[in-house]
Amino acid sequence: MAELKFFGYLADIVGARAKEMSLEKPVALREILPASFPETNITVLINQKPGHLDSLIRNEDRVVIMPILSGG
Amino acid sequence: MNGYAGKLLRVNLSNGKVSKEEISDSTKRDFLGGRGFAAKLLWDEVRNVDPLSEKNKIIFATGPLTGQSIPSSGKMVIASKSPLTGGYGDGNIGTMASVHLKKAGYDVVVVEGKSEKPCYLLIEDEKVKIVGASNLWGKNTFQAQDLLEKKHGKNSGILLTGPAGENLVGFSTVMSQKGRAGGRPGMGAVMGSKKLKAVVIKGTGRVENFDDNKLQEMGKKGYAEIKSKESYDFWMRQGTMQAFDWANENACLPTRNYREGVFEFSKEMDGYVVEKLHAGRKGCPLCNMQCGHIIKDSSNQDAELDYENVAMLGPNIGLGSLPKVATLNRMADEWGLDTISLGSCIGFLMEASERGFITEKIKWGDFEAAQKLTVEIAKGEGLGKLFSHGVKAASETIGKGSQKWAMQVKGLEISAYNCQACPGMALAFGTSPIGAHHKDAWIISWEIANDRFSYNKPKVEKLIEFQRIRGGFFESATVCRLPWVEVSFGLDRYPEYLEAITGEKKSWEDIYRLGDRIYNLIRAFWIREVPSFGRKWDYPPERWFEEPQSAGKMKGIKVDREKYEQMLSWYYELRGWDQNGIPSEKTLENSGLKGVSKEILGQVG
Repeated sequence: MAELKFFGYLADIVGARAKEMSLEKPVALREILPASFPETNITVLINQKPGHLDSLIRNEDRVVIMPILSGG
Repeated sequence: MNGYAGKLLRVNLSNGKVSKEEISDSTKRDFLGGRGFAAKLLWDEVRNVDPLSEKNKIIFATGPLTGQSIPSSGKMVIASKSPLTGGYGDGNIGTMASVHLKKAGYDVVVVEGKSEKPCYLLIEDEKVKIVGASNLWGKNTFQAQDLLEKKHGKNSGILLTGPAGENLVGFSTVMSQKGRAGGRPGMGAVMGSKKLKAVVIKGTGRVENFDDNKLQEMGKKGYAEIKSKESYDFWMRQGTMQAFDWANENACLPTRNYREGVFEFSKEMDGYVVEKLHAGRKGCPLCNMQCGHIIKDSSNQDAELDYENVAMLGPNIGLGSLPKVATLNRMADEWGLDTISLGSCIGFLMEASERGFITEKIKWGDFEAAQKLTVEIAKGEGLGKLFSHGVKAASETIGKGSQKWAMQVKGLEISAYNCQACPGMALAFGTSPIGAHHKDAWIISWEIANDRFSYNKPKVEKLIEFQRIRGGFFESATVCRLPWVEVSFGLDRYPEYLEAITGEKKSWEDIYRLGDRIYNLIRAFWIREVPSFGRKWDYPPERWFEEPQSAGKMKGIKVDREKYEQMLSWYYELRGWDQNGIPSEKTLENSGLKGVSKEILGQVG
């Protein structure tokens, strides 16, 4: 299972803070996200390494997607 | 020049003299306002003085963007020679006082000397009075706010020091509107040392702008643009507390005095919990994305939360209850203590107790002990007295090697990001011009997005770019950076605002040069005022070099000392400073700071 975590307003867009997905073959991240998902000002980490919306996601991957934010 | 009130108000509390001075156009062009004005004034007028003596000065400064009808412009900078660090100290605060000050006809107030008796400064347009404040002395900042509002009206701009400032605590802040705070490096103590309890400002005038119609139009569009952002709704629900979950996920949430970057009770106190406990919202004037989230604290009183204070008074002291954290936060606001430094001091003390370095037994998460310590620190009594000059001085008193886990740089406690696995952010704390604080270069999000483990020159270049924009422009303009950084409001709006306000066009290259000038002057101030100043003052605490995190996904990671040194060397090279962090004569002259080098030559080396 691929594990996806969404932070901040991105969780609102997806409708969940976390998702698990069974992927039969590697698939571009954008293909498993809603069409309205933002392209900019986001951070994508795949297994702790920087990625992007066109990165291929495999079944065992752990994906974290976060907005760029400041914290005060 | 348009967009400024044009005058500096100078008040001497020793002799009661009040004077008003014109601010030259060249000062406005070269230093812009806010932090830029403060750095220039401190460099020119405060030389080798004891920060708590009558010879020190405290500066309240606005900029051309302050108080304008543009997003989040209700800000001002409060600066002085810091009693906590001995160097340059400042903080920005969102307050009605900033708006009123410009309306009253002043861009800057300089308070010098020392009153014999407690007093407050009352500014009502042209009328400026020093008023007795014996009835306010000893009152907490909420009580004093109420009394002054009752006397001068609810809409007055009020800046206050609390009992902690009266007792000269090194990390006492200036407070306003029961929850707005600014001036972490002891600006409250400088007010206290002058027996200045408050500044009350009521202004009725207006500042002439170059093209007011255009500005009004742009401002209206700006507010609408912010509201239309996709992240706006979430921001309004969680504010800066959205960073709590984020920091825990990225293993940079300061936990148990920065030993760890993850906290086992994070789900019980993150932004979603704030949403559930929401009891109201507070913020600064002229802002449509107010960041202060109110919840009922553990004693059922209103308390305003943000990420920094929750992280430092929660995980950093091992306390996993949001209402209890809110109580500590409210107490800090009432007493006039900086919440970041308070959390750092309490966390340090708990660790010292655990290690047997002090005889008192204070366990992680001990809420009763934390409340008692907060009061004792503010009063300078009991165990709290140890922290009157911050965690650095406390660790030097305790000794036994505890200095390596006193989490500070240049004497200022680190704000709420643990950096064993974020070397760029460690360098940002190391080179922040007031000591460890995040406002100048919050590079951590960029770093995590791009490659958190690398130590390369592009990272250092990015850090300097952030310092120029955030520490140089936003602090001097003087306007809140959060619309840009939190909801991606267009950065290019700001030079457009500046042009409509002043009539002068500034490119980003001009703005970067301005930021560098201010940074060079602040650096020169540190060199002149702190005899041992040099490269070692830009190091983060030893803990980050020596002790990797022991849990979570960054387990085993720590900052590589040699690689940090390399990044610091690149930083100096890019800034035109020598390898001891001293700006060269050429750098200073290129920054338009001719003559500054004469005062710092031979001071360090």
